[in-house]
Amino acid sequence: MDKISIPIGPHHPLLKEPLSMRIDIAGERVLGGTLRLGYVHRGIEKMATQRTYVQDVHLIERICGICSHVHTTTFCLAVEKLLGIEVPPRGQYIRAMMCELERVHSHLLWLGILAKHVGLETVFMHAWHDRELALDIMEGVSGGRVSHAANQIGGVRFDLSPEQVAMIKENVEKLKAQVSGVLDVIENEPALRARTQGVAPVSADLIRDYCVVGPVARASGIDVDLRRDDPWPPYDQLDVNVITRPEGDAWARTLIRALETRESLRLCEILLSQMPVGPVTVRAPRKVPEGEVVTRSEAPRGEVLYYLRSDGSDKPARLKVRTPTLAVLSLLPEQLSKIHVADIPVVLAGIDLCIACADR
Amino acid sequence: MVKQIDLITLLERIEAETGCQCEVYQGITDEDALYIPVEDLGAVIGMLREDFGCYHLSGITAQQRESQPGEIELIYHFWHGKGLSLLLRLPADDPRVASLIATIPGADFYEREAAEMYGVTFTGREETPRLLLPDDWDQGPPFIRREESDG
Amino acid sequence: MIRGLFYLLIFPGLAFQVVCGFAFEWIDRKLLARFQRRIGPPWYQPLADLIKLFSKEDLLPLGAYDFVDLMLPLISLSAVLTAGLYIPIARFTPFSFEGDLIVIQFLMSVPTLAYYLAGIASVGIYSILGGGRSLLQYFSYEVPLLITISGPAVMAGSWSVAEISSSQLTMGPFIIFQPLGFILAVVGLIGKLKRDPLDIPSASSEVVGGSLTEFSGAKLGFWHLVMNVQAVVGIFLLVNLYMGWSNLTFPFAAILVFLVECLLMVLILSGASAVFARLRIDQLAGLGWRILVPLALLQLGFVILMGV
Repeated sequence: MDKISIPIGPHHPLLKEPLSMRIDIAGERVLGGTLRLGYVHRGIEKMATQRTYVQDVHLIERICGICSHVHTTTFCLAVEKLLGIEVPPRGQYIRAMMCELERVHSHLLWLGILAKHVGLETVFMHAWHDRELALDIMEGVSGGRVSHAANQIGGVRFDLSPEQVAMIKENVEKLKAQVSGVLDVIENEPALRARTQGVAPVSADLIRDYCVVGPVARASGIDVDLRRDDPWPPYDQLDVNVITRPEGDAWARTLIRALETRESLRLCEILLSQMPVGPVTVRAPRKVPEGEVVTRSEAPRGEVLYYLRSDGSDKPARLKVRTPTLAVLSLLPEQLSKIHVADIPVVLAGIDLCIACADR
Repeated sequence: MVKQIDLITLLERIEAETGCQCEVYQGITDEDALYIPVEDLGAVIGMLREDFGCYHLSGITAQQRESQPGEIELIYHFWHGKGLSLLLRLPADDPRVASLIATIPGADFYEREAAEMYGVTFTGREETPRLLLPDDWDQGPPFIRREESDG
Repeated sequence: MIRGLFYLLIFPGLAFQVVCGFAFEWIDRKLLARFQRRIGPPWYQPLADLIKLFSKEDLLPLGAYDFVDLMLPLISLSAVLTAGLYIPIARFTPFSFEGDLIVIQFLMSVPTLAYYLAGIASVGIYSILGGGRSLLQYFSYEVPLLITISGPAVMAGSWSVAEISSSQLTMGPFIIFQPLGFILAVVGLIGKLKRDPLDIPSASSEVVGGSLTEFSGAKLGFWHLVMNVQAVVGIFLLVNLYMGWSNLTFPFAAILVFLVECLLMVLILSGASAVFARLRIDQLAGLGWRILVPLALLQLGFVILMGV
């Protein structure tokens, strides 16, 4: 059969964000592919040096819609380290709670996308119905569904009143019950398993060579989770269960994200129950002393790295953001060989693309 | 769990095995950092991977410090339980460094971004295609400080 | 002559089948929505969609054939409408002859071939892929379907759908004697209608729109009509083959029973659509030849033995 090249993107039903891929196929077998990023490149790193640190918190939030909170958290941690200030414990707990809720939201969104691409529209609808509950919680405390503007340098922007805490607890309980149903389907549905098991397996050595992070790496047995291995407070006081699977195929990636959702809800409950009292923020000076810092966090998609250099003024001299999707995308051409055309959606969904993150 | 490497041990082992002269860089808060001569990059990274099991490259930062405009600095961020950054200094008029993609294929995207944003040439790879900038961008590396306009 | 035109155009011909097609689409979408915790469209949605499609601009890619693209859905539509004429609607059969089951099967396959040709004629890469997949799918479900629907024919001793239906007055509904056959026939129907879980030719995440990617405006409207009428005719066929005419006697008994049986079929089709994930084409081919064909032969063999 002749080799033909089909374009996927920049606009395609498969992609939430623009990404250009050319996939070579012969019949129903995929031979390989190339990809081109940059359709959503906004020049955030350059813009960050032209704005003050306070403005940058709002700029960084817009790198990505789904992992906005973890980006601002990592940035604020970097600036706070340079300033030498420490966020009060209550502020740390609120930050972590929003991070975990965001992880739940991100995984439920991904789950719906995977189900839709595989033809399980019902699971897509149910998963996104449950995701609304997570968004309602985040809106109830911060006022925004996806861009919360929760962080500021020195802490968080809002405190939780007792009514809000009660609301969050009640909704997290509801979410746990509802999510259980969807996750049971994921774990036990034979059709989903048939579509994802054995698809595009990746060995642990390949993961190491390509420096892949996040659930994709954990699905191949790499036991790394920055919440446990390089924690910022309060994660150092929490006992995070890191879930790994040995198979390395699309099924393992599916299962890991499903289990991580459960784990995140459990962490949310612990954070709520152990929340200390006190202030949520400290005052931060506008000018940041000279220095450099590297901070890392575990975003829903993996390790996010921020390098910040300050020259003593109120604007950063250099900001470098390395998002997890960029690390995972380098593995994509490798994964695209030896699969069927019908597996392309499954492979892409397994990577959990966030092109806005990758392009910045 | 990954095991952590003590910085002094690492420095001694590098000097013993590869003979290159590195120095500890104290400028990054709470992070181990070493200055590496440009030509020894491959040897040091090979040693890190084989002897210390430090294989995870988180990213490559390229920057041009205002105090030293004649130099482009590359920082290779590694992580092995804690962070380790390797700094290189390249001359700004001809920044060249050996490419890592033969040993670390995952460095591809980071090298391409440094190449298009700062004009760094990575030797040993056949082509360095654009990653983020559009195909018709013709105004040169956007991050380089130019005398006539602000960087 | 007037009566003939009435049969052709009003009942059980064009108007009746198109209205049933709208009703089917509405019930299907409403059921699917309710399964998915949504509300679903109002009753006039299918009609509104069709009117909207007919009022849209007709875009044609470079290299595609305008006349062919128009004729393909029209020919398919006339084929399925004709197929519907031979199927009894609650005991009412104006046209019926010995062997019309074979003719119906043939006419119902015309849209599949037209779908493939539409893909080829549309020039775009996704259309060609979708068209190719539809033929691959056809080879996987058509053989078991043909073997399966021979079962009721053998049992009734006739190849006329009206005869098969009326013989169930004395023998009882065939679904009791051929439950496996019924399930296989439903699977075959899902494949023929290209519905979830067998909507491989038009899987949007893989081939965007399949053969119909480049269709727009009135041509796409006609294709929608084809899909709906094909579904309705398929349902009528299976209801007559497996559930037949009933012995109940109360006012409007035949009509009510027929209605209930059709709604049951719609429920089965919508439920399958909601519950199952889409198969891959190689999984379908494996399923078709390794499982469905042997089971169909088994069922047919059983029927023959029972008759002997």
